[in-house]
Amino acid sequence: MKPVFTLDQKLPTDLKKISPFIDRVCREIFELTADKKQAYNIKLVLEEALTNAMRHGNKLKLSAKVKVLITADRARITADIHDQGSGFDFNGLADPTQGANTQRPSGRGVFLMRKLMDSVEFYDNGSGVRMTKKFPAG
Amino acid sequence: MGLEIAIKESKPSVFVVTPKGELNTDTYRMLEDSVKEVISKARVLVIEMGRISYISSMGMSAIFRIKIALEDRGGTIALVNMQPQVQQVFETMKILSPQVFASLEEADDYLDKFLDGVQTGKIKPREPLT
Repeated sequence: MKPVFTLDQKLPTDLKKISPFIDRVCREIFELTADKKQAYNIKLVLEEALTNAMRHGNKLKLSAKVKVLITADRARITADIHDQGSGFDFNGLADPTQGANTQRPSGRGVFLMRKLMDSVEFYDNGSGVRMTKKFPAG
Repeated sequence: MGLEIAIKESKPSVFVVTPKGELNTDTYRMLEDSVKEVISKARVLVIEMGRISYISSMGMSAIFRIKIALEDRGGTIALVNMQPQVQQVFETMKILSPQVFASLEEADDYLDKFLDGVQTGKIKPREPLT
């Protein structure tokens, strides 16, 4: 199926830009799925991925960019987010829902991404992430 | 959408914080900054969540840090009246479940017991995390 929505953009590393950017993307996504819970989850996952890319990947360096490629149709959305950092140990993250980790205030973004999307694949040593979610038929 | 925050002292040392909007990467600091002053005076901080339409992990982290700051001083937090989509995020993360209540009335019992415990000396400031 031909994508109904495609976005290919480089964002500056500025946390204040995330919310308006996601709102703009999600207005398009909300047109593609009637499932409000799915749409909410997509918004949440995009914020988590972009925040991680800017804070941990680009270390909030203003001149660094985050490359965002999103394609979506009525069946699925794919989001590819790539920062200019050196990556991270994405297999070594602690489960924030277990034991003492539940008492730590941070470290939940990647967990949410993995929990709410159908697939989450890190590449380039973790500086890029590609996520897919199928929309329910209807 | 931004965030608006109202705070009132409903009874001595019990503060009700009412944020309205989205609690996200852009707004979480507003919440933390707004409650900073009352944390030193509060035994109980109730966050009325009914007007929060969206929360991300940054928003949850802010609430978590407020909880820790309160507990360090022998206080506690209660989150009441969450919208379903926000509650779903808390449930997914399995955090703060003892402090989440469907309504302020439901939280009252927990808060009364907590304040009794503070008065009788059974509840003390917790040991900081190492």
